[in-house]
Amino acid sequence: MSSLAAMLKAPGALVECDDDPEAVYEFLCSKGWSDGLPVIPPTPERVERMLAYCDRDFEKPVVRIPPRFGAATPIRVAANAVMAGCKPEYFPLVLLALEAMAEDQYNLYGTQATTHPCTPMLIFNGPVAKEVGINAGQNVMGNYFRANAAIGRAVRLALVNIGAAIPGTGDMATAGTPAKFTFCVAENEDNSPWDPLHVELGFPREASTVTVIAAESPHNVNDHESITAEGILTMVAGTMATTGSNNAYYAGQPVIAFGPEHAATVAGGGMSKAGIKQWLFDHATIPLSKFSQETIERRFRRKLAEQFANAPLDTPVHMWAKPEDLIVIVTGGAGKHSQYVPTFGNTRSATRALKRVDGELVKSIQELKRV
Amino acid sequence: MAQLTKRGLIAAVVCSDTFMKLGTAQARVFGVPDLPLLKIQHPLGGLTMEKVRERAAVALPQLLKVVKEKQS
Repeated sequence: MSSLAAMLKAPGALVECDDDPEAVYEFLCSKGWSDGLPVIPPTPERVERMLAYCDRDFEKPVVRIPPRFGAATPIRVAANAVMAGCKPEYFPLVLLALEAMAEDQYNLYGTQATTHPCTPMLIFNGPVAKEVGINAGQNVMGNYFRANAAIGRAVRLALVNIGAAIPGTGDMATAGTPAKFTFCVAENEDNSPWDPLHVELGFPREASTVTVIAAESPHNVNDHESITAEGILTMVAGTMATTGSNNAYYAGQPVIAFGPEHAATVAGGGMSKAGIKQWLFDHATIPLSKFSQETIERRFRRKLAEQFANAPLDTPVHMWAKPEDLIVIVTGGAGKHSQYVPTFGNTRSATRALKRVDGELVKSIQELKRV
Repeated sequence: MAQLTKRGLIAAVVCSDTFMKLGTAQARVFGVPDLPLLKIQHPLGGLTMEKVRERAAVALPQLLKVVKEKQS
């Protein structure tokens, strides 16, 4: 008997049901352990295989997930990764994402329980993302690609099954977002004219990282006509400038995910990432007068009194707090589209590098394979 | 509030009816299952001052009852 099988002999650790796929589906839905879609049954054998690339103590919590503050042990997370359809090679990335989300600035408690429609957007950088097949090209935020689908889904299942982010009791989202099923991308580093996100943040290029963002669904920027940096950025700024965004109340870190063709046009004009952030900060604005009278009086005049207590109605309201707060990546395939991703307000992004237990950067997922 | 309760102070949380399940679960998670929740009508946001006063009028007697019970 394996050590895992021995562990599962604890009272309540195992549940039994008919092994017919429909019966399993009905059973897990009846328990509230699914995301509403069919899952792979997390049998002890499958959970054990999922842990093949886990170099942690299987029973030691990696993080505690609010609002229940459930212990996210590798074994529990592995059960969710099995259900989501992960390959064992994906599993260290699921754990890494959960670790990043547990950093204080991310505000996992708030993002889990809020009425706002946010969900973790996972942005992977570095060699391991490519090695395990996380899509960074065509339809990057859409369906079809197993790694993108399963890694994001495993995180969501862990948030629900371990953290109790259950709609109406622990997850109070008014409407939520389809991105709650999965929102996982890799940066298209090969087709980016700039340093990738992890390098910009100070990680070595050979590091493999995840950046987690409490994101809304992406908002498309269609621009088939502009052939200059200023042209593309003008269209992006217009898409960013929306009165209903949490970021317009000077909090959070929204994302602009340029499609490679838009990125090439912007970079062709000599724009650096810092230059883009400043330009968009300056131009993605809305006159104060465009907000409702009540919002002006109650939110801007009172809660943001330092800037707006006596501001004239033509005062430009920037779409986030500071230029450098904007996150700039390149992802997706061919086409004249980019994606703007607004976020929850009381949150900051968090980035973590994949490391072995000895603290060394993981350069290939095979380094984590248990012998 | 959980920390205040654990320090022996009288504490309570104002909670709208829609959020009572979350409030009850959180009190249990934070180790103070008996933390009083002062129930008011949802929503809390976007209220006129008149509506805010109405909710305060509902919460206040509940708060006084908690204080009296805890002091006795």
